Amino acid sequence: MAEPLLQSQGLRKSFGRRKVLRGVTFSVYRRSLVGIVGENGAGKSTLLRILAGELQPDGGQVFRYGLMGYCPQAVNLNDALTVEQHLDYFRAAYRINDLDYANKLIEQLGYQAYRHELVGKLSGGTKQKLNLTLALMHRPQLLLLDEPYQGFDWETYQRFWGLVSDLRQRDCAVLIISHLFFEQTRFDVLYHLEQGRMQAPEANGSATETRIGTGSASTEGKE
Amino acid sequence: MTSLSRYLTATRYALFEQARNRTALLLLLLFVPVWYYFYLLLIPSDPLPFLYRATGTLLQANGQELGFISAGLNAITLIVGFMLFASTRKNMQFDRRLTLCGFSQALLIAAKLTALVVVSAIVSLYASLVLFFYWHPSSLPLVWLGFFCSALSYGALGLLLGALVRGELEGFFLIIMISLIDTLLQNPLGNPIANQPVLRWFPSFAPMQLSVAGGFGLHMSWLYLFYSLAWPSGFALLGLLVFWWKTHARSVHIIALQQS
Repeated sequence: MAEPLLQSQGLRKSFGRRKVLRGVTFSVYRRSLVGIVGENGAGKSTLLRILAGELQPDGGQVFRYGLMGYCPQAVNLNDALTVEQHLDYFRAAYRINDLDYANKLIEQLGYQAYRHELVGKLSGGTKQKLNLTLALMHRPQLLLLDEPYQGFDWETYQRFWGLVSDLRQRDCAVLIISHLFFEQTRFDVLYHLEQGRMQAPEANGSATETRIGTGSASTEGKE
Repeated sequence: MTSLSRYLTATRYALFEQARNRTALLLLLLFVPVWYYFYLLLIPSDPLPFLYRATGTLLQANGQELGFISAGLNAITLIVGFMLFASTRKNMQFDRRLTLCGFSQALLIAAKLTALVVVSAIVSLYASLVLFFYWHPSSLPLVWLGFFCSALSYGALGLLLGALVRGELEGFFLIIMISLIDTLLQNPLGNPIANQPVLRWFPSFAPMQLSVAGGFGLHMSWLYLFYSLAWPSGFALLGLLVFWWKTHARSVHIIALQQS
């Protein structure tokens, strides 16, 4: 059986009286491609922020194994720096010696012409490409992506999936959250986040566990 | 990659960012000389009483020259406060992302402090040199020192508000109001009771004393340099604590394990 690279156990989170996550338990395994879909406001981004360590849960635990790459929904870049300067800054953050892989990603995503442009002058799509590059440039073993292809044109969208395929060849696990997936068959596991719980897509909200491919999920009724 | 090289990287980009703040640069280039010019044009040279507390001397200082110092402090505090507030607030999420990716918070904080000192030094130097065109104070370096300490105070305040205040307008408004009240009340031109003891607790009090010592050739007290650094130290400490809290990885429930 494949090793888990991420385990979420009974995650709970509330904002004031609003309970956003009500006990989310699931795992992501090596080489798997996992999707989490849900309506706007379902708590997907909150879940991913907790998994990435950006937000403290009210309860539950996250176990993460190996190097993580995280691409947040908001394009967190510095408008006053160039693309090249971003790469240099994150090279220092990740403590990596070269930018070979980052350069390859830039070519793969097709924005090498903008290397010396200020990020504040880039289009939304190009900013998103940089956002993705920064999450990947240190060759993570686990990748957490929040709406990663927003603003991409069709060609870039296809290149993105090519990139995901390459990552899985390298044993990387990829978790993507989105409010909408056009090609659900691409995923090994696809979870629905509804009312703060992971729901199996065909279970009408009653099933507590779904497993497709190498992933698994369950919800815990903690209330 | 060593800690020193990561610190230098963060410092370099913090300074790049400040250099690309065109609004602040424009304000600096135009606002400072225009502000002095208005004092030259509109404020009379009549003597005004100013209590120099280091020696307890009640000076009868030239009102216009005293006004130049007050104008310099006012302009510097607004500009440096604005620069540090804007950059801190705008990049809070970016800085958080850097720390999530492994950048040491301590190094980011050290880089921010370095940028604060460098920006304060340069802006104060510019304001002192422009002042020299209008008036030749007895000791320009001492006037600069007062300006520098005041810039540090408001830069650190900008850092604190940038980490604390969500809205851009609220932050700008706070900096403008605090600077106006603080610097105006130190000047006997705007405040006939400027020599009141309570004003000693204001951020611009000690820097004003230093600059007045430089402007009128008075004996400088090192104690006032120490006082001048108290406010920036307090603001910076609070600001960096808030920054640390907002950018640290929530690692309590995250356990990184070795790959088998």
